[in-house]
Amino acid sequence: MTDLVFLALSFFAIAGGVTMLLHKNPIYCALGLLISILSVAGLFALLSATFMFMVQIIVYAGAIMTIILFILMFLNIREEDLPEEPRKGMLITLGVIFMIPINLLILEGVGRLPNSDMSIVEEGFGGIKELGMKLYTDWLLPFELISILLLVALIGAVVLVNKRVKRGVK
Amino acid sequence: MASLTGYATVSMILFSLGAIGVVSRRNVFIIYMSIELMLNGINLFLVTFARYHFNMDGQILSIMVIAIAAAEAAIFLSVIILLFKTKKSLDTNVFTELKQETE
Repeated sequence: MTDLVFLALSFFAIAGGVTMLLHKNPIYCALGLLISILSVAGLFALLSATFMFMVQIIVYAGAIMTIILFILMFLNIREEDLPEEPRKGMLITLGVIFMIPINLLILEGVGRLPNSDMSIVEEGFGGIKELGMKLYTDWLLPFELISILLLVALIGAVVLVNKRVKRGVK
Repeated sequence: MASLTGYATVSMILFSLGAIGVVSRRNVFIIYMSIELMLNGINLFLVTFARYHFNMDGQILSIMVIAIAAAEAAIFLSVIILLFKTKKSLDTNVFTELKQETE
């Protein structure tokens, strides 16, 4: 049963990624990425990371993808605004040829690790309580630094948008 | 199937698709989405090894990655809006603002 769910989710994740890579229209690319992100969220659930599953759906599929789709519609991109990509096929082929050895190397390394039980853990792993305890004790300093980073990004976005408004007034 | 190697394969394929997208496409939006796909692949790798070692540090690292992706989304998308307003195009070859003019 777990194997079946894993196969279906990984198929959708990879199919969404391939759609994003090959399609010309950015809206369809965004939808492919959305499918991929939701499938990865399902894989997180299979790895018994329940809190990560929720964060992935809320932050990635909820916030980031909504902003991307919103801006795509806001910019009102027409067919002639899209860049010409005459060498796309060749570059993708070259990229695949270049990436295959790296993937094989890493999979060779991972395959040598001793096999371990990857079944779903019922309780005491990956939930919000255990993760929160760890985040606010062992990882307190990185957590605070990340919050400063988010604040800086927020201020940066506001400053950039403000510049655009001023130019429009002049 | 749902073993360590299976999860590692899926995450490496996602990462590779993102990397190939960054080098082969010329639409800024699709380059941004490819970066997101690469981050997703790495997140899956981290969570897989968190489960493998039965240690939640990997999950916390992937929460950090998601936070950085959110910060990146805010900056990247506002820069894309500004570039599109000035150049009226999404082609990466048009954005040569920082290039030095040679006589």
